[in-house]
Amino acid sequence: MTLDQAFEALRKFDWGTPLAEVSGIDDAVVASHADAALRQDLEGRLIASLSTDISRDAKDYVCRKLAIVGSPAAVPALSGLVAQEDHSHLARHALERIPGPEAASALTGALDKVTGKVKIGVIGSLGARRETAAVPVLAGLLGDADPAVARSAALALGAIGGGDASRALQAAIGNGGKGNLTLIDVLLSCAESLLSGRQTAEAAAIYRSLSGDEQPRLVRLAANRGLLACLSAQA
Amino acid sequence: MTEHESSAAARQKTSPSRRKFLKTASAALAVPYIIPSSALGNAERPAPSDRIVMGGIGIGNMGRGDQGAFLDRKDVQYIAMCDVREANREQSKGQIDARYHNKDCQVYSDFRELLARPDIDAVHIATPDHWHAIMVIEACRNGKDVYCQKPETLTLREGPLMIAAGRRYGRVVSGGSQRVLEDYRQYVEPAWAGEYGTIKSINVEVGPLPQLCNLPGEEMSEKIDWDMWLGPAAWGPYNSKRCSGSFSIDGSSWRSFSDYSGGGMTDWGAHHFGGATFICDVRDLQPKEVVYHDTPERKYLEYHYPNGLTIYHNRPNTGNMHIEGTPGEKLPPKPVPQYQGEGGIYGDFIHCVKTREKPFRDIERAVNTCVLAHLGNIAYQLKRSLKWDAAAQQFVDDTEANRLVDRARREPWQL
Repeated sequence: MTLDQAFEALRKFDWGTPLAEVSGIDDAVVASHADAALRQDLEGRLIASLSTDISRDAKDYVCRKLAIVGSPAAVPALSGLVAQEDHSHLARHALERIPGPEAASALTGALDKVTGKVKIGVIGSLGARRETAAVPVLAGLLGDADPAVARSAALALGAIGGGDASRALQAAIGNGGKGNLTLIDVLLSCAESLLSGRQTAEAAAIYRSLSGDEQPRLVRLAANRGLLACLSAQA
Repeated sequence: MTEHESSAAARQKTSPSRRKFLKTASAALAVPYIIPSSALGNAERPAPSDRIVMGGIGIGNMGRGDQGAFLDRKDVQYIAMCDVREANREQSKGQIDARYHNKDCQVYSDFRELLARPDIDAVHIATPDHWHAIMVIEACRNGKDVYCQKPETLTLREGPLMIAAGRRYGRVVSGGSQRVLEDYRQYVEPAWAGEYGTIKSINVEVGPLPQLCNLPGEEMSEKIDWDMWLGPAAWGPYNSKRCSGSFSIDGSSWRSFSDYSGGGMTDWGAHHFGGATFICDVRDLQPKEVVYHDTPERKYLEYHYPNGLTIYHNRPNTGNMHIEGTPGEKLPPKPVPQYQGEGGIYGDFIHCVKTREKPFRDIERAVNTCVLAHLGNIAYQLKRSLKWDAAAQQFVDDTEANRLVDRARREPWQL
């Protein structure tokens, strides 16, 4: 099957269409690894198809392919889908994987335009990208009026890790977040990443802050286990 | 969720222990109450306070077997179950209540409610694979020990996060392949006895690869929370084959489809690759590269390990578990690891819940097995050889392969 035939089939592709009818696109994804001209052609066609009236299923399929071969050139077309509930997930799937500041900016920029589940998804994608530049905006969402958004921001900060994310989480715990197990869990996770990055003092400080009697037993034990790991790392 | 979690935390801090609860509850009864000997415990049945209190999530084909195994144990009190299918909830509750001659089993359609219960010590999870990581991690956050059916992971990234969550909270997290120990004894025992000498290679025959599901929508033929069944996977219309828990991997069950499973590579691969790594004693290692071969006869793989071992996948003209040793060499024997406790892999898990030891199928070893299957799926998909940096958990110099290490989760689900 030629690429032309596959893209022709994509125009009518929908749930129930045999995947063999678009297999030429899958073949091109693989073949273009060693063929820059084919890759550029393929990506251009995929991007163009997103602005046509192909089915939801077809757009999902295209996003899955752009997740593998997409470059910053695909970001404008994908970012147009992020705010649409039906397309947001797989558009994010591609944007999570496209390297460079363009995809990160598209996700960060979408935060103000979306709400509810879609916003949670965008936050999750920033976390999955470990987008350190997004730490301030994610930190701001820790106090969001929607508890699900706040929880998502905490999980994203935990995925990003590092000193800035840790400090944001500690501040949130100190600012009414005591007893919030998600905040505590992701802070413990940050301490683990700091420890594995040999920032032992910073990790130990986090563990000490979570080892007091006011914490649930599960958390105290985790913090004490972490402190022992810090001592072991220092020895 | 903040409010929900605050209350969960408060419960953890303030709720009485199970022993105190039972004591208080008994004292509060205003009528004469005869405590059955079974409640106090006897030689055959531990007292309630000494039983492991369990719940189950995903009670379909595999979950029913797991539930039955735990339910049969005298040292387990099974009190809750969760499933997105109404029929599974009804059937499971019926079995549990019949076992205890009461109506006490609580049923849930949202696993988070079950996991938030402070009176549950341990859970078993037997959902489709796309749910495993989220549920295992959430269970650990809630202080539960976990028995998770194989294949434990759907993506390469999930494994380290599941291990970290288990280790963070000191949880016992066991994978669910009973075959690793039980099916390959004829190879394991001579291998660990040193009779093969240094094992140079072993072949695993398993498949097929997963495929994208593009089944058409159809009228819903069962009472199922479809959004919850899909969970973190991409949206797709209801189709009974898409969500069938059948063991087939030919396109008529979720095990066939890449959004929910790694296909035969992970489904039976969890057993066969697990057995191969056990035979060769590399359960604690991950391969450093996978070499892709496309021959007229068939496509096949070589996994190269840092210690020099090669695991083949579908090597032409070679049978499953075919071992290439070192003729004339005899190595010092090593004791073969076994389950602890009684009752196979389930007994091993319960024993470890009580003793806090690592189970035979500790999550880290289960994840290492899944890594083989995932690396293989990616190499076959991209049709090329790949180098794997196990420490960094990423491919070396291969941007596209690294894009396949994980996938975005459908909102609102997140790791």
